[in-house]
Amino acid sequence: MTARPLLRPAARAPISDALLGPLLIAPAVLILCAVIVYPLLATAWLSLFAIDTRTMEGGWVGLANFAAMLGPDGRFFGALGVTLVWTAGTLTLQLALGIGIALLLHQPLWFRSLARGLALFPYLVSTVVAVLVWRWLFNDFFGLFNRALIGLDVISRPVDWLGQMPNAMASTIVVGAWKFFPFVVIAVLARLQTIPDSLYEAARLDGAGAWGRFRDVTLPQLADVLGIVILLRAIWDFKEFDLIFLLTGGGPVDATRTLPLVVYQEAFGLNRMGLASAHALGMMVVMTVMFVAYRLLTKART
Amino acid sequence: MTVEPILSGGTRGQTRRAVLAGGLAAAAALPLAGCGEAPRPITLRWWSPQAAPEQVRAYRAQIRAFEKKHPNIGVEFEPTSDEGYPAQFAAAFAAGQVPNIVTHLPSFAAQGYYAKGLLAPMDAVADAVGIARFLPGINDVYRAPDGSLAAIGIGGTAVDMLWVRSDLMAEAGIETIPRTWDALRDACRRMQRGAVYGAPLPYGNNSMTSLVFVSFIHRAGGQVFTPSLELALDSEPTYHALDFYRSMRELCPPGASSFGWADSLNAFVSGGTATGIYGGRVLANVARQNPRIAETLRCAAYPTMDATIPAWTFNDFPSLFIPKRASHPAETRAFAAFLYDPEGYVRQLLAAPGHVLPVLRGVAESDAYRSNPLTVSFASEIETMTAAAARGHNLGWESPAHRPNLKAGEIIASNAIAELVQRVVAGEPAKAAVGRAASAIERIMRG
Repeated sequence: MTARPLLRPAARAPISDALLGPLLIAPAVLILCAVIVYPLLATAWLSLFAIDTRTMEGGWVGLANFAAMLGPDGRFFGALGVTLVWTAGTLTLQLALGIGIALLLHQPLWFRSLARGLALFPYLVSTVVAVLVWRWLFNDFFGLFNRALIGLDVISRPVDWLGQMPNAMASTIVVGAWKFFPFVVIAVLARLQTIPDSLYEAARLDGAGAWGRFRDVTLPQLADVLGIVILLRAIWDFKEFDLIFLLTGGGPVDATRTLPLVVYQEAFGLNRMGLASAHALGMMVVMTVMFVAYRLLTKART
Repeated sequence: MTVEPILSGGTRGQTRRAVLAGGLAAAAALPLAGCGEAPRPITLRWWSPQAAPEQVRAYRAQIRAFEKKHPNIGVEFEPTSDEGYPAQFAAAFAAGQVPNIVTHLPSFAAQGYYAKGLLAPMDAVADAVGIARFLPGINDVYRAPDGSLAAIGIGGTAVDMLWVRSDLMAEAGIETIPRTWDALRDACRRMQRGAVYGAPLPYGNNSMTSLVFVSFIHRAGGQVFTPSLELALDSEPTYHALDFYRSMRELCPPGASSFGWADSLNAFVSGGTATGIYGGRVLANVARQNPRIAETLRCAAYPTMDATIPAWTFNDFPSLFIPKRASHPAETRAFAAFLYDPEGYVRQLLAAPGHVLPVLRGVAESDAYRSNPLTVSFASEIETMTAAAARGHNLGWESPAHRPNLKAGEIIASNAIAELVQRVVAGEPAKAAVGRAASAIERIMRG
């Protein structure tokens, strides 16, 4: 009797390796096409029409929506300026608060776990609830801020926190920073816990003070994580909608009307889906340019 | 015109697919039979921006009564809002996910949607309710250019009445309710003291500011559009209205620059302002939230620039309409007509006494309506509001001579008029601000 070979020569595979790879990733590609590519192409297509949102009917206008958007009566550049001010302002404050509190929570404090949990609280609260609470704090009849300032004789008349500039933008930036700084805390705190103590010991031996250790040890170690945090938070802040919409509605006039609010108003207030799509595409182009530039800059530095 | 039957009683015309669907629904319901109420085969969705808790309770009572009569139909109430409905409806129409029935939206919203072919004519429902039961002329504002009714009235509201407190007037030595702008400004100045401001006029970037300011243009003797719908914004009355509105800013709370409907109402009800500008909801809110000022409440039509100009009151003409693509049209029409059943209708009105005013004959005089403590205590105020609402207009129908403005909803949603107010209050020259607003409105009218 002939013994059967332990391993038979492989049967001819019905699918070649060259085909197997694409087949395996096909489901993922199809899903990405459905949720990213299709909406993107649909938006680009819609931007070439004058379409009424309610009926989704309208005619071909070519690039007229882009001309209107970028022309003298267009709102794109004004809203882009507002969006950049909001993004830069709130992101800076989020980073300052986030890094500061992460450093604090990295110290051996009493109730450190509780404090770490509480620091995450704003991030867990829904935006609607957070905005309602803040609007109440800003209220001129019952708001804590005005009451406290009047009680301390700092002001004699309530301050209009949300209805005039620059207060409206400043208030929005502060509320945004309060809401989103915990993301920075989580990321920075996680990185802080992995910095070897030996680096600080060596710095101490070299005579570095607290500021020196922060500047020469902590910050360089945080650089990578901060790069990712800045990138992600800048993207999210740039397209932030609900917080600003609920807090100021874009006012006074257009002073806090960021690009997402313009898209929303064009699409659902003025029923101009084509023009809204053009704004959305413009927004995407700006974000892409900004973030390619950012990545090139950070790559060049490293 | 042939009137379709409101609700077919038989099962003629049922397809095998419908029978199969019914069977499947019944089979699906079986496991739930022991767990409470079985799901109903037909569900109707009802949207309304008038959704204070008492009103929702009244709606649910109407729903229960209807469901009792029609065990196969369930109705779900979903609140929307005065500020948010344009976006919600645009999304709903675009997605084809429309509610079956919509109540309390302004007449100009109904006219605008109907003009786009999004609503079903309401003549059959009006006939089912009984056209003669409506107050004379109440449905004229919903008459579309094709002769059909784009909607029917479910109430009337005198939205921007002047509310005053007799105690504060007496303290300030003011004997009569102001009739002109000069008198109002003087009264507000004299009543403003400490933490109490003169008035809660809205200066926010929102629909209230737009709608209220349109009234001020009329109170200066002007109009936004001519009867043939030519834009007439750049006119002397508009500038007078802007001057007055700007001059009142120092007599309003600092936060008025972001006031909407709720903020303005709360400012007066809480005692934060000496006067108010709102509809009859003030009555229920004061009774519940600040009853100590209830006895001092008085209301009148909002003052005009001078006594020779007649009062102009904003009535949004709360409507009832049915989207054309709504499912179960016969059942929806039956429910729409049922909402005017006297018992439920009166209860619905009394959920906000004096705010949504009756549109059916005999209701205001009925014992059921008059037995409410607020309609008894404030009979005179409700009478004043009823008279003002009967003469009321809005941007969609500025006067009896005006054609319906089918773009009024979009003009309001654009905030072009609110921005005009904000720009002028912020110090921009009125001429330039009016020019910007006029351009924006003209673009909408052309679009």
